[in-house]
Amino acid sequence: METTKTVACDFLIVGGGAAGCMAAIRARELNPDIEVAIVEKAEISRSGAAGRGMDALNNVVVPGVGTVDEYVEAVSLMVDGIFEPTTSRVIGERSFGILKHLETLGLHFPRGADGNYIVNPFHPKGRFLVEMRGDLKKIVAERTVRSGARPFNRHVALDLVREKGRIAGVLAMDLVSGQIRPFIAPAVLLAAGGAARIGLPNTGYLHGTFDCPWCNGEAYRLGYEAGARLTGFEYTGTSSMTRDFNGPGLSTFIRHNAYLINGLGERFMERYDPVRMERAPAGLRMKAMREEINAGRGPVAFSFSHLPQETIRMIEDGIFEAERPTMRDYFRNKGIDLSRHPVEVVASEVYLCGGHGLAGLVADAWAETDVPGLFAAGDCLSNPYGFLVGAMAMGEAAAERVAGRHAPRPAAHDLDDRLAVLRSRLQRHRKGALGVPVRDFEYKFRRLVNEYVAPPKSERKLRRFLHETEAMVKDGQDLPAADPHDVMKAFEANAGLFCARMAAEASLFREESRFGLYHQRVDYPEKDDLRWKTRILISAGPDGPILEKEKI
Amino acid sequence: MNLSIDKDCCTGCGKCVELCPGHVLAMDERGLPIERYPDSCWYCGVCQVECPEGCISVIFPYLIR
Repeated sequence: METTKTVACDFLIVGGGAAGCMAAIRARELNPDIEVAIVEKAEISRSGAAGRGMDALNNVVVPGVGTVDEYVEAVSLMVDGIFEPTTSRVIGERSFGILKHLETLGLHFPRGADGNYIVNPFHPKGRFLVEMRGDLKKIVAERTVRSGARPFNRHVALDLVREKGRIAGVLAMDLVSGQIRPFIAPAVLLAAGGAARIGLPNTGYLHGTFDCPWCNGEAYRLGYEAGARLTGFEYTGTSSMTRDFNGPGLSTFIRHNAYLINGLGERFMERYDPVRMERAPAGLRMKAMREEINAGRGPVAFSFSHLPQETIRMIEDGIFEAERPTMRDYFRNKGIDLSRHPVEVVASEVYLCGGHGLAGLVADAWAETDVPGLFAAGDCLSNPYGFLVGAMAMGEAAAERVAGRHAPRPAAHDLDDRLAVLRSRLQRHRKGALGVPVRDFEYKFRRLVNEYVAPPKSERKLRRFLHETEAMVKDGQDLPAADPHDVMKAFEANAGLFCARMAAEASLFREESRFGLYHQRVDYPEKDDLRWKTRILISAGPDGPILEKEKI
Repeated sequence: MNLSIDKDCCTGCGKCVELCPGHVLAMDERGLPIERYPDSCWYCGVCQVECPEGCISVIFPYLIR
């Protein structure tokens, strides 16, 4: 396996999505002497969860409309108080600046009849969701390249390197040539997304996930193995998504006052949360949906027929034009016309995502983890419901600390040991002693997630999952990989299994029920604030993960 | 097959291969795009939107179609 020349830089970003690009732009803006490199699996103009587009900023504290305190309170309601509010506060404080920055880059924020931004409610409390139009990722990526940051597209980060407890670099693979490319840097930002391929969607199509399927928890695993802590892995999210397509629309539908109906045409949220209705925290909404279906009152759908044509056009414009043009084709193929037909929704597969839920790396107000020089932003950082704005805000925060630190670059020869370990890992994949395709391996653990980790949970089921998948951890090291794409898939599958096991460990540890459906334990059916108003932190110990409580 | 690629209209510019976020597409020996890794497709439509000639349309994986 050939190794190319080592790239040395001052700030290395793993993942050129929204968080990574904004970090690069900010670092170069603050200090043009800083050399910034981006390791990106795809191509930065179309990569990450927002790569195709986004029709809104979900969480902006617009002056005169909301306050940072209200925003932090709204997030607290969404995660049942189980969060460290610093990150959410930082996101709230930076959010309007992010909007203004995007506006100067050329994104369009339409104004209402009163001349102000269109700000709609989506959270259980307050109004923070601002309509946005424009080709977001393309615009941000162009600015990133103009800033002088250097993207390494089609490169996959496979390992992190440390030196005397500090971060020192990354070993990546060139997806085209298969060569290993080492990077050394005194600061590394993990911005490579959450873990989408954890549960199995009911279509059975492995990449047909709600969240971006090309992010499968590699950042969580890299950070954890380097010594950073994880939190929120018991918050096993699922979302109410358009049947089979499993694509965007949820926040668009809710903020424009579409509502959920059951098979009898009843607006069933009236029974579960009569005040907040569809804006109830996601876990409660999902629990309500589950109960309707279990009671035989399904299927469940979003109804639009009560909305004025103008609103329906805005919804269509948002999801078809700004977010996902293929959704228009999908609706057309299925004969769905929003003004006349309800859209059936089902519970998506279980996913882990620090920007849509809780699961993520732990970091301070500047996005720095417990490992000096290692930062995290975007969906791999625990920034509950931080969404796109949270990714950008924490990316910028990381860049500001890096730009102000002037850390010296580590020496290149320190990579040798890690290179040897990586080469032997790749050699095992090339030999492929397991003889089972990656897709079978992945299907198997994801089917087991559906059976044993997805709520409702119990000690018996969770232990069963950990037992059943123990041998798979070893098997995964010998997954066959004939080419670099397969190597990437094998690393993704192994990271996914790692995340699923962390979700099982954390779910086992939290002996109560919380977050609505998301952590419903049948053996501990009540919420227990006295014992469990705590975060669960996971760190790597010599014999496996160590789980600890941290009081809020 | 998740995509329909009209080979008669394709100029072989490679934009779809360059930009596909899932590394699904590759150029064949004739210099035209093929779905080399169809299992990795998220039917996001980047290829469809980016094709300057409008030669690509997403027909969706059979399991979700």
